[in-house]
Amino acid sequence: MSEKKQVLHVGIDLGTSRSSISSSNGQRHVVESYVGWPLDMVARKVLKKEVLIGREALENRSMLDLHRPLEEGLIKDGSEKDEAAVRELLWHLLSLVGVDRESRNGVKVRAVVGVPAEALRVNKQQVRKALHDAVDSLMIVSEPFAVAYGLEALLHTMIIDIGAGTTDFCVMNGRLPAEEDQRTLTQAGDFIDEQLMRLTRERHPEAKFSIHMVRNWKEEGSFVGQPKNPVVVTAPVNGRPTQLDITQEMRQACESILPPLVESMLDLLSRVQPEYQEKVRGNVVLSGGTGLIRGLGPRLEQELTAVGGGKVRVVKDPIFVGSDGGLAIAADAPDTDWEKLSA
Amino acid sequence: MANVDRIKRQLLRDLVQQNVDLIHGRAPRRRRRGSPWRLMVRLASLTFLSVALFGSSRLISTLGEPRAAGAAATPGAPGPSSAGKAAAAPQADRPPLAPPDPVDAAVFPLAVRKIAIDAGHGGGSTGTRTPDGLMEKDITLDIAQRLQRVLLGQSFQVMMTRQGDGDLSLEQRGNLANKAGADIFVSIHVNWIENRRSRGVETYYLGPTDDPYLTRLAHSENRDSGYSLADMRHLLDRIYAGVRQDKSRRLAETVQGALFQSLGKLSPEVENRGVKAAPFIVLLSTEMPAILTEVSSFSNEEEARLLTKPLYRQYIAEALAKGIHAYAGVVEGAPEAAAAAEKGI
Repeated sequence: MSEKKQVLHVGIDLGTSRSSISSSNGQRHVVESYVGWPLDMVARKVLKKEVLIGREALENRSMLDLHRPLEEGLIKDGSEKDEAAVRELLWHLLSLVGVDRESRNGVKVRAVVGVPAEALRVNKQQVRKALHDAVDSLMIVSEPFAVAYGLEALLHTMIIDIGAGTTDFCVMNGRLPAEEDQRTLTQAGDFIDEQLMRLTRERHPEAKFSIHMVRNWKEEGSFVGQPKNPVVVTAPVNGRPTQLDITQEMRQACESILPPLVESMLDLLSRVQPEYQEKVRGNVVLSGGTGLIRGLGPRLEQELTAVGGGKVRVVKDPIFVGSDGGLAIAADAPDTDWEKLSA
Repeated sequence: MANVDRIKRQLLRDLVQQNVDLIHGRAPRRRRRGSPWRLMVRLASLTFLSVALFGSSRLISTLGEPRAAGAAATPGAPGPSSAGKAAAAPQADRPPLAPPDPVDAAVFPLAVRKIAIDAGHGGGSTGTRTPDGLMEKDITLDIAQRLQRVLLGQSFQVMMTRQGDGDLSLEQRGNLANKAGADIFVSIHVNWIENRRSRGVETYYLGPTDDPYLTRLAHSENRDSGYSLADMRHLLDRIYAGVRQDKSRRLAETVQGALFQSLGKLSPEVENRGVKAAPFIVLLSTEMPAILTEVSSFSNEEEARLLTKPLYRQYIAEALAKGIHAYAGVVEGAPEAAAAAEKGI
């Protein structure tokens, strides 16, 4: 067997809310970015596992020390538990594409890991420390860059990657984005969840619901502008499942991110060299799970008319666009470069 | 297509280099726009530094010369060849010297190397707090520790007045900074503003004030001073004038500019409450340029919410670092950096 056949390239999108993996063996998987350890001996006996990941962790959260390690796009500073959670998440993703934790099945794993732009900027050494043991060679990139690479949107393009913890803006002008080409806002999916939670609580104080339920409601019925259908959800009132109309609350919560989003988009555009501004306006790409809010693309286009008009395109596969981009980088990087990046 | 491939190759090269730098702990290589101009500014700064240092040594030797010149002008005094002897003559033989003119601090462009960071309050002194129980002492410590990391990454030396939740008098804080030989002192606080709709940042340097609001604020922040009234009077007399106050004001302006510029970008509602003079004792006890900065306000609901977010605290820390860096640039002879920070460029 040749050396080349023993190499497995993977692209990983390590997100605040969800993490995905795309592998050169053709497999793709996504998990929710939750990692939990049983709280005590009883929990360990019930759960029969040392660590739980993703949906399984979320569903058993009452028995777990639950971590969402990239809260707000950052590994929490000084938290060994969160670093460990990132490692567990990575190992879990690798296991999903067939890499054994101990032996790695004799394959060389070369990974490109996309992290929120803020994590790359603020605690990249921590990110590397948390990840390097799991693979043979490691390259860390910012998430919006991985998206741009995967879409080959490398020139005169603005990527707006709206995740759970942060909204990352990145203008691609044919080179690696510098600090002045990027912006990060904390108004993203989690911010909408908090707004929706508050507004729904105000309107329906008698109803009982959790932030996880609110998150699901948003994923089902988020919109800006005019609703396609009323947003009706079910939550217990006095212990009885009851239907609640939250259409107005949903609109208000989703539109709460618009002012900073529009302001940052226009500000970043105004800093693009004048001769390229029109091209960039015509190439705005909306990615990330929260980028799927219905009506968001047209609304941003409407805002662009104030500066001469533009085109906003929503990526078709926001779940895997980042990890696919990472895989493309991994596959394109020559062996000699990978040798320099041995973990 | 060929164009896309070429761009991809270049991007991959840069990306790999960025990651190799990361592995070896090297700072990222920054691209600079308009580099010839920046190079000229740097060369000009270096030239200025050389001239200033040369000028200051000339100044020192000139200060020694009037004695000889005075001796030479006295009838019957030895000629120029005996100047050295005349200079060595006992003090009583010399004519009284006029006090020297005040010297512009810019003549001595001393480098800023060591930063003292003071996380406001601590231990029993909780500072302000939100109805949810979030305490000023915890937020200031978190921001201070973030600032420490950012500054260490920029090759500054950093001393922290506290790293944990300990009680520390205001006097002890200043003394720690003095003992460590810090070049500047930055005390971090979170404000409580009566108008709760107000979301402002403000920065103080030491000085007298007639403003009742500032007097109340100073009274509140000075509660744990550890100084007697007599000590305070002595210290106030010693400090209210001079180069250190000018430098403190300059530091306050630079940090305030950077803070407002960065936070204003995140939230347009943040107001610039400006640079003010006030008699904070923690500033009084230091022997270096010192400021107290109110980086946010617990009284405003949105600010209190944002302060629970690590990313917001990181922004504040980075904004403070930006201001400190710009001030260090001024002291080292690169005034354009501070001007940019003040103007919010």
